[in-house]
Amino acid sequence: MKIISHSYINPKGAFLNGQNVLIATEENYLKSYFSELEIDYSKFYKMDLLSKAAFLGDYLLHNSYKDLLNVENELQFVFANASSSKETDIRFIESYERKKNPSPSLFVYTLPNILTGELAIKHKWFGENIFYILTKFDSDFFNDQIAMSFLRGNEYCLCGWVEMTGSPEDECFMFLVAKSEVVNENLSNKLNEILNNYRNE
Amino acid sequence: MSELKEQLKSQIIEQLNLEDLTPADIKNDSPLFGDEGLGLDSIDALEFIVLLDSFYGIKIEDPAAAREIFHSVDSMAAFIESKK
Repeated sequence: MKIISHSYINPKGAFLNGQNVLIATEENYLKSYFSELEIDYSKFYKMDLLSKAAFLGDYLLHNSYKDLLNVENELQFVFANASSSKETDIRFIESYERKKNPSPSLFVYTLPNILTGELAIKHKWFGENIFYILTKFDSDFFNDQIAMSFLRGNEYCLCGWVEMTGSPEDECFMFLVAKSEVVNENLSNKLNEILNNYRNE
Repeated sequence: MSELKEQLKSQIIEQLNLEDLTPADIKNDSPLFGDEGLGLDSIDALEFIVLLDSFYGIKIEDPAAAREIFHSVDSMAAFIESKK
């Protein structure tokens, strides 16, 4: 297994492979990054925080996978977070308790794995996808899930820890892993090292 | 009519939870649905039906007509005016 590339997004900045590539110019940092990247994708504005963050994290990675072979069928999404879709869940509850209008456009985002659907739709990828709820980022868990994915025949895993609740601690850590005969690094340790470096930026 | 269109844009942003947008980002004649416009879909059409009912007391009797009515801010405003 080999990490091809990784991205990280939080209120302080957007990073690609350890390098800071964007700094927020407004309080709404996801909108700021979207504007700075000059992306033409109007559906972004409809998304919840989870999908927006994953969309941007994926966008930063796109140069890493654009030339990979058969990625549309042999790539699996492995995502996780701790708070599921809590931020949208609360807004949806408010929509019917306070506004007396259960909002369909909020309801569709009351599942965290919608973000994998957004990415699959954008790229027209047809591989497997899964979203776990964990108490915290667990590199061993990701290591095991990726290893099992490769045993099932997948060639790549696009993974993410996307914890977005509207808090200053929000973060979206994404990494692309390829099946590789050369095992030159302990994936679990490497992931912890990369994430800790991002968190300390 | 222009006042109605500006009001509609604000209501669309609120109803569809498009907080990242401002009324100025929505053009009167741009398609609201599909990739060329705001990227809205059938779920959002439900929101528009609720919007027309709750803000203007207008019910869409013919679902087939909704596609034309919800095409743009211009077409929605014209429909609301026609019901006054």
